[in-house]
Parts: sequence; structure tokens; C-alpha cells
Amino acid sequence: MIVRKFVFTFTIKSAKLTAACCLFMAIGTFGCSSARNSSTAPGSRELRDDLGRAVRLPLRIERAVSLAPNLTEIVFAVGAEDRLVGVTTYCDFPAEARAIAKVGDTQTPNVERIIALKPDLVLVSTSSQLEAFADTLASRNIAVFVTNPTNFSDVMKNLERLGELFGTQAKAQALIDKLNSRAALAEEKYAKRSPVRVFVQISKEPLYTIGKSSFLTELLTRVGGDVVTKNVETAFPVLSKETALALAPDAIILSDSSDNTEPNEAFRNSPAVKNEKVFRVNADILSRPGPRLVDAMEIVGAHLNGITTTPNIK
Amino acid sequence: MKNRRKTAILLTALLAAAVTCALAVGSESLSFFSLDENQQAILYEIRLPRVLLGACVGASLAVAGAGLQALLRNPLAEPYLLGVSNGAALGTMLSFGLFGSIAVARPAFAIIGAGIASAVVFRMAKSRSGMNVERLVLSGVIVTTFLSSIIVLLTSLLDAARLRSFTFWLLGDLSQATYQGFYLTLIASIAGTLAIASQSRALNLMMIGERDALDFGVEVKRVRLVVFTAASALVGASVAASGSVGYVGLIVPHLLRLAIGSDNRLIVPFSALAGAIFVVFADTVARLAIAPRELPVGAITALVGAPMFIYLLRRS
Repeated sequence: MIVRKFVFTFTIKSAKLTAACCLFMAIGTFGCSSARNSSTAPGSRELRDDLGRAVRLPLRIERAVSLAPNLTEIVFAVGAEDRLVGVTTYCDFPAEARAIAKVGDTQTPNVERIIALKPDLVLVSTSSQLEAFADTLASRNIAVFVTNPTNFSDVMKNLERLGELFGTQAKAQALIDKLNSRAALAEEKYAKRSPVRVFVQISKEPLYTIGKSSFLTELLTRVGGDVVTKNVETAFPVLSKETALALAPDAIILSDSSDNTEPNEAFRNSPAVKNEKVFRVNADILSRPGPRLVDAMEIVGAHLNGITTTPNIK
Repeated sequence: MKNRRKTAILLTALLAAAVTCALAVGSESLSFFSLDENQQAILYEIRLPRVLLGACVGASLAVAGAGLQALLRNPLAEPYLLGVSNGAALGTMLSFGLFGSIAVARPAFAIIGAGIASAVVFRMAKSRSGMNVERLVLSGVIVTTFLSSIIVLLTSLLDAARLRSFTFWLLGDLSQATYQGFYLTLIASIAGTLAIASQSRALNLMMIGERDALDFGVEVKRVRLVVFTAASALVGASVAASGSVGYVGLIVPHLLRLAIGSDNRLIVPFSALAGAIFVVFADTVARLAIAPRELPVGAITALVGAPMFIYLLRRS
């Protein structure tokens, strides 16, 4: 199966690649003259992105496209939403993001549509798929800025950098201060309590959870959680059910989605289920490394420490 | 005769050993002489149904492979490579979409899907001059890719969370084993194996050639129908319970034929035993390799099976 599947995806990918190459070549030939003419911007600056690439940007970004829901949330948070002209189909928060033009999803953005929007900047969270078209966009004077925040301090750094990018430093800094103080408050509130042994269920079957390198492990630890899978390798491992059963957590956080509304069978006799310490938390808040991570801290902290207004599920 | 007995005893002993080992080890170590409540749950509710289901799936896939290979006179006929597994996978996905949680709908749809896929491959592979290896393998590839693309289309309609669970299942995964799934697979497994075993004499004659078999009084069409139906049932029930565990039907009967010759009266029942051993063993590796994390068992069987397939292709 695995071999067949790989062969199959490979064919699809190479077909896509070929199509993309043709498209790029066409753009290359037709687009050359116009690109040269318009490349004389009055002034520009250079910023390094997360891959260490020097990205040349106009002094003021007028039109930006975001290719990840967490980056869209960050752009809104730093107050540059009026310059966001394109987002992905996943970008649904804040509600205003839904009204912005869609350019496909994070994995397969539509290059043609991005170019048609004439942005000065495309924000990208995954480097792998997008290296190919970064050059094409660059030849059209569209800067590609790769940034992939994966934990709380990354998100804070990111807010600062995108503030700098969009020239909204003051608003970004005010937000960072506010988020930091809210996080510190949540941390302080729960620091003295004894940690609660908690399991985070990302999906019921197969049993995906959070591991050593997940930002959620760090985050939950800060608000009084003792993540029972904190020593398991990788960020989002599939965990053996026997191990899950043996871990017998005292609380379970369910990342709320259509097929993850109840704890796995392996937890049937766990203290968490017996004592009804099972909590559903909005999957987007949990899964997007963006400004709402502080919401996640507060919500989870309140759940774990029994100071919660939302009802438990049985 | 003596050889046959020896093989039977050897395989039964190996299966008992594989099952015992599989029950004894896992990501959690159990103290078997004083199991506490949790350890009992681990042994009886998680490990046991999984090992039993693995044995059933292995037996089913190997017998389906043996039957198809004899029927099509082709050592490369394998449920996975012929697209039969993909037909079953598509059926299972459709039943998820249409009937959601109704457990019996899944194997039923999977069996229908497997049946349609095998009928199509067979029709495509048959030409006026009969059936040859290339045509059959090509038909299998075409049907497999076609069905894969439908599966990809369907998965792109799913939300990210469901997609993740389907991807794991499609690779062949026994971690979702339940007693219910095991019983359903067991019924199909026994029925399918008996059906194919009942045709093994006829299959022996058909391996010489369909015309010769007709001369000996074999009702070729009926044999074909029985074997195709039984193989579809075996594959369908397995896929519904555990996704596409590839290559079992390819390497198990082949190794047996190397060891004891190609008499289907022996190959069919021994395939059941050896297939069960192989999958139970592979799943134990899948559970232990990166414990407490899990690998899909299909990744392990393919790791062994794909090189074997290349070897067979070069020989034939």
C-alpha cells in the first residue's frame, strides 16, 4: 500500500510540477518586460525571514497575501488587516477574514490567483512546497516572506516582526505587552496548585496526541498541566492505546472536531472519565500558533484547575 | 504425505508462538502472574482483539491471494495489486459517508466494492487470445490508480481531522481493532476460506489450462465465480476492519509454493496459517518499532513485500 500510495502521489506531484513549470515559463516569457519596467520602486528595505533569506520589500506594504490561518490572525492582530488582499480557505478568524479573497488552501495555493491580486508581499508558513514558486513571485516583484511560528515565544517574535513589516510597530508592541501580561497572569494563577496529569486528544482514531516538541506541551505545562505524553518523540504522535490506558490521566482535553467529540475507548476507566474531567476546546484555538494561544492558556488553565464556567461533557 | 503433516504441525506451532509473543509484548510491559485491573484491560480489551483481528486479516488476504493466483494462473495476482483492495477501501469510505456508524455496512460495502473492482480487472485483462501476465498487471494498475484518484477526490472533501484518520487507515492499520470487527472479519474469513478450499481440486486442474480443465469436467465458469466472490468477501471484510494491508496475498502463497509445491489442496489451508503468522508478526513489529508511538502495519508488510514483488517480477 505504502509503495503504491507514494508512487501515486509522486505522479500527481510531478504532473502538478510539470503544469506549474509550463505556467512559470509562460509567465517568464510574457512577464519579462513588465517586470523590468515596474522593478524601479522608489525605495526598498531588506528583512531576513525565518529561513534566513534576505527578502527585499517596499518601504510600505500596500497589498499582502497570507497563506496560513495563524499568519492571517497575526496580521489582523497587528492591525494591518486593511492591507490583506488574499487569504486561504482555512482563514476564518477573525470573522472579517472570511470576506477576503481566497487563494486556495495552505498546501495548494493558486499561484495564478496570487499574481492576479498584485500583492507586494506573500506570507508563507511552510517552506517546502513554496520554494518552487517563490522565484516566480520574486520575478514579478512579489516578496515571499517565510515565517513559521511554532511556539509561544515564536508567536511573540512574529507579532513584532510583522508589526515591523507592516509599519504598525506601536500596535504590535502594545499587543505583545498585553498578551505577555495575560499569559503571566494565567501562569501565576495556577503556579501554586499541584499539576494535573492531562492527556490531549487530537483525534480519537487513530489516537493522535501531543508529544515532546509540541507547543501545546509547553503551553499546558505553564498553566498547571502535567502533560502525560511530554516525553513522547515528535510533536503530534499516534500513541499506542495500551500506553494511553496505562497513563490513566486525571484530565482529558479534546481538540474539538467532528470525529473527536469523546475520549478514546482506552480511557474508559481513567480517572478523567470517571470524574468527568473531559473538556472540549476549540480546535482552532489549540492548533494555530497565533495570538489566540493565550486564550488557549486561559481556557485550559481554567479547565484543569476546576475554575470553569463551560460545562464538562460526559 | 509426511511432508504435508510436518508443514501443518510446523505452521500451527509457529502461529501459536506468534500469537503468544504478540500477546506477551507491547508498548506496556505486563506482569502476567499478577495482572492488575489496568493490565487486564490492556491484555483483553486492546491486545487480544488486535492480535485476533490481525490473524484473521492475514489468513483472509493470503487465502484470497492463493485463490486468485491459481484461478488466473499468475503468481502476481494479489488483491492489492489488482485493485481489489482499493475497491474495498472505496466501498468502506462510501459506507462511512452514507451510513456513518453502522458497523455492518462497512464490510458489506467493502465486499461489494472489492467484487466490482475484481470483475472490472478480470474483464479488462481477458482478450480473445486469453489472459497474459502483462495485461493482467496493467489492468490491475489502471484500476488501482483510477480508484486511488477517486479516494483522493473523496478525501479532499473531508475536513483535516477526518483526513488524518483516513490516511492512517488506508495504509493498513490494526490499532482500531474491536471484538465486533474481529467477529465480522472472522465470519467472512471462515466462509471465504472454505469456499476457496472447496474449489482447490478444480483449481489444480485449471492451473494446467482452462481447456484441459473443461475436458476433465470442471465447470470453469462456476469455479471462477466462486473464487472471485470468495476473494472479494475475504478482501472486503479485511479492508473494512483494517485498511489495505498490502502484499500479504503475494508473498505468503508464493513462499509456500516454493516450500511444498503448488497443490492448491495444501496451499489454500496453509496460506491461511502462514498469512496469519505473517500479519501477527508484522503488527507486533509495528507496535514495538517506535513504541509508545505506532506505525501502520501496512508499512511493515509493504517493506517486506515490495522487494519480494520485484524479485517475482524478474523471475516470471
